[in-house]
Amino acid sequence: MDRRDFLRKTGTALAGASGALSLPVLTSCADETVHADSVLEGKRWGMVIDLTRCRDGCTACMDACRKTNNVAFHDDARWDVHWIRKATIKPKDESVGHEEKSVLLMCNHCDNPPCAQVCPVQATYKREDGIVVVDHHRCIGCRYCMIACPYNARFFNFKHNPDWPNKEYPQRSHGVVESCNFCAHLLDQGKRPACVEACESVGAGALIFGNLNDRNSEVSRLATGGFAKRIRDDWGTKPKVYYIGL
Amino acid sequence: MKRSTVLTEKNRIRWATVFSFLIILPLGLSVVGFVLSRGQETEVFLEAPDPKWEACYRDAEYMRYHHMDLLKDVREEVVRFGIRGGLTLAGCGDCHTNRDQFCDRCHEAASVRLDCYGCHYYPERVAERELERINPTLQGPGQEPTEIDPAVQDPEQEPARIDPALQAPQEGR
Repeated sequence: MDRRDFLRKTGTALAGASGALSLPVLTSCADETVHADSVLEGKRWGMVIDLTRCRDGCTACMDACRKTNNVAFHDDARWDVHWIRKATIKPKDESVGHEEKSVLLMCNHCDNPPCAQVCPVQATYKREDGIVVVDHHRCIGCRYCMIACPYNARFFNFKHNPDWPNKEYPQRSHGVVESCNFCAHLLDQGKRPACVEACESVGAGALIFGNLNDRNSEVSRLATGGFAKRIRDDWGTKPKVYYIGL
Repeated sequence: MKRSTVLTEKNRIRWATVFSFLIILPLGLSVVGFVLSRGQETEVFLEAPDPKWEACYRDAEYMRYHHMDLLKDVREEVVRFGIRGGLTLAGCGDCHTNRDQFCDRCHEAASVRLDCYGCHYYPERVAERELERINPTLQGPGQEPTEIDPAVQDPEQEPARIDPALQAPQEGR
């Protein structure tokens, strides 16, 4: 056996041995990529806000939201946090009319969320069921998402909130950003968001919530019915909150 | 011109003395400190396995050293994947009612800052403590110290710092 032969043979043997040895390692790596079984698969939560049924001066949904989610209210516009709020809009172009409208505004839970794209620590992300959530354990309070959000739906906790009406749900500490999460903790338990329940208990029924993936649900029927609009659909954020009568 | 900084024979001895002091002093101090601190190892963990602990998620040994891993895993499941209904921080407080003994005792000894209770609820005293920490002028409603069965109470410890769950009578010990 000359030198060249020797090298070739040992090289082949070594390659074969390393391949055989690395096979179990590779397969075990592949196993680890399987993450926890998701209970969120197949759902795509969405909401339709029927402004024609929404009553003037009614604050049932906002009060329920504050109570359920411990949303801070300091009675000072600089520090208040709103997950759902009412704004009065009137047309810029006066030839269209002078009619003022009261519109419910909240996190639109975009399918293409700008806030999640800019978050430097991936604290804001889209859950598998389409809800855009903030992981407050991770949030560093940089407020980049507040700048990115075109709907002004995000608020920063400038102060500690002394009120804690619902002890079963955590508060937010000072220095994190928060926004509506469709009451994800209630959805996971099979319940509906607090604002929807409140709106129904008042009798208005202006908030309709459900699974957009389900063709037979009232939400998807209304959302695809031709009357529902989304705020600034042209931006390409693809919100999952639809408005009727906007 | 005075040239005291040059290493003459006299200066050399002076510098040698200074440097040897610089080396010997910290060494000696550490040796003295080590000798003095021997025999003063503080008992951090509470030695009282309660019968209730069998109903805990893991055994006491695991929970002492790895509870943070467990909590982080549960956190990921709940926050990222929506799997709820398991371990909760408030649920820990159902058995371990005294946060001073259950959490703060070790965390203060190890000087690891607890960040859970700025947001999460623990059944006892937490809201008041956090309020005090964040704003000393704000005072929550005062709360009485926990009622302790005098038969169970260890006379050597302060009455206010005893967790009834941890001070259960030890049998077979």
